[in-house]
Amino acid sequence: MSKLIRRLDRRRFVQSTALITGAGALASTWPRRLLAQEGITAVNSIRSLSNPYHASWNQGGEAFSSWSGTEYATLVTEGNSEKGIADIKALIARTGGNMVLNVDPNESPDARPIVEACAEAGVYVTTQWNKPADLHPWDFDPYYVCHISFDGRPNGKAMAEALFKAMGGSGGIVALGGILSNVPAIERKAGLDEALAENPDVELLDFQVANWDPNQAYDITSAWVTRFGDDIKGIWAANDGMGISALEVLRAEGMAGQVPVTGIDGIQLAVEAVMAGEFAGTVAWDPFWQGGMGLSIPYHAKTGKFDPSAEPQEHREFYGTGIVITADNAEEFYKSNIEAAPELDWNDIWGRVSGQIQYQ
Amino acid sequence: MSAASAATHASGDLRGERWRKLRRRLAPWAPLLVLIALCVVIGLISPNFLSVRNMVRIANSAAIPLILGLGVTFVIIMGSIDLSIEGVVAFAAVILSLLVLNGANANDFGILGALLVMGLGAMMGFVNGVIHVRLRIPSFMATLGMWFVGVGVANAILGGITVRVTDPLIRALALDRLGGVPFAVWLALIALGVAYVIQSHTRLGRYMYAIGGGEDLAAFSGIDVKRCRIAIFTIAGTFYGLGGIIAAAQQGAGFALIGQGRLFTTITAVVVGGTALMGGSGGVLQTLVGVLIVMVLSNGMVLMGISPYVQQIVQGIMIIIAVALSVDRARLKIVK
Repeated sequence: MSKLIRRLDRRRFVQSTALITGAGALASTWPRRLLAQEGITAVNSIRSLSNPYHASWNQGGEAFSSWSGTEYATLVTEGNSEKGIADIKALIARTGGNMVLNVDPNESPDARPIVEACAEAGVYVTTQWNKPADLHPWDFDPYYVCHISFDGRPNGKAMAEALFKAMGGSGGIVALGGILSNVPAIERKAGLDEALAENPDVELLDFQVANWDPNQAYDITSAWVTRFGDDIKGIWAANDGMGISALEVLRAEGMAGQVPVTGIDGIQLAVEAVMAGEFAGTVAWDPFWQGGMGLSIPYHAKTGKFDPSAEPQEHREFYGTGIVITADNAEEFYKSNIEAAPELDWNDIWGRVSGQIQYQ
Repeated sequence: MSAASAATHASGDLRGERWRKLRRRLAPWAPLLVLIALCVVIGLISPNFLSVRNMVRIANSAAIPLILGLGVTFVIIMGSIDLSIEGVVAFAAVILSLLVLNGANANDFGILGALLVMGLGAMMGFVNGVIHVRLRIPSFMATLGMWFVGVGVANAILGGITVRVTDPLIRALALDRLGGVPFAVWLALIALGVAYVIQSHTRLGRYMYAIGGGEDLAAFSGIDVKRCRIAIFTIAGTFYGLGGIIAAAQQGAGFALIGQGRLFTTITAVVVGGTALMGGSGGVLQTLVGVLIVMVLSNGMVLMGISPYVQQIVQGIMIIIAVALSVDRARLKIVK
């Protein structure tokens, strides 16, 4: 390297630098300007592509983009808030603000700087899952179009009820929780508690936190089998990953299919387990819908199909609709959502509104 | 007067000397004593703990940490560290899930696929070693990089999905038993045997201790330190590859997050077992004891109904105590 530098005299250095800069400038300017003038870029910002949930989210974004003829870009935060915010700002600068954004903020506080940057540049934005309770879309009219979340409580409860039904309405259960400072983990657990209060014949033998981690869930469930043995009549898990692990422990003990398990998220393995009669149920958030509709709503606003500031608050901060999957509809769901890419009507932007978000 | 005081002084010295000798003789056995004490205490509080079926479950949970621990024990004895465990495990499990009978493609390489995956693990270990030795990058950084590479490639291949492993041969590792014990446990014991032979009956094993005890000295006495280092990292990678295979067998699936959390458990187990992070001492049998301590403790805490938050605190305290016990403070002049 140092040899190479020594051989370069000043003139040659200046020449080659000018050449490279010129070529770079030429190559980079014209397609970008074309982009800025004509095409809207649809941008999904998500945590990572390493989990089935966000992978499906990304596919939904791609499907929307090819439907609407927009450019498509995915940004991943890898759990790093600074990176997430910086990447979004960089893309706003690159597209000259001619984009729509659908963001799952890494942490709640991130939503504010993201929304502020978007409002300043005239970018229509949707946030999902995480935002501070005192940040509202109507405070940034019209650019902050809406915030979408899902209520973990009724879904956690629906799963508990499906589990109790599969157990025959009585007996002991054990429950695996997510990271307990996470809002979804808290809500889902609250739903479980509600169902338990309404079903006094079902006893919660133990609740353990496996931090959304399948490996931890495996070891905890193994220990439970020792501690409670045949007293375990059902296992409730706050997500599918942990539930599938619990199921594998049961399988190794020859108990799979006899002790029902429930999860939440609707990943493929869980839906297959429902069809096999090993899972009593799961809830699909339909991340495909989240990834696509989270872009479609601001896209419709940007293209003038509706005016966000004229919409009711119920359309600005709303709970989406989770699809409860049990043995009754698992096969149908599998065929239309997993075997084939889901066919969604991207014009039906308010079709899955199920109530305004309530903040305590 | 002066004679009397000299005599008491001398007897004090003698007592101190005796105490030091006793401590030195007991220190290597401390982890085993801790393990036995734990078993007795947990067994008294929760009699289920000592049942044969629970012992089998603990052994089953211990199989993966033990196999991973064997590899990293070698590296630590040599005075290096290997953080690539989770990366290699994730990569191995994902590749395995795509090579054997699975829910995503039509491959059916069976046992050949498993061997291939162990080879891939060895290759990643080899690359670790070469980067560390040839580019003179601290093992900490080289293997940290390999961790991210492994998880990243696993991500890139699967794009976030989970691939079900349906190969009966691979699933048998977790689901079928010989003498009431899952095959994974037998495999872990075989790996322990192999590791013990490498450690105690080969030249490489002796060199590994020599390098960890003092690299300069080892080099002066004619040991090819670089080659040894690369060889040890390669062996470690092979063990991680095997760990990845068993992880995929247990979970019945391959996914990019399958290695998550395994680095912490493994290093904890190795250190708790009494292998010093400074290098030059310890061994695979100590690691076996360390893995059992960690597993017995986490199993026991669930059996006793201890809150999950307290469990984490206990694990953290355990590491600090274990390291504190294993360090000979008289020999340490500088602590970085």
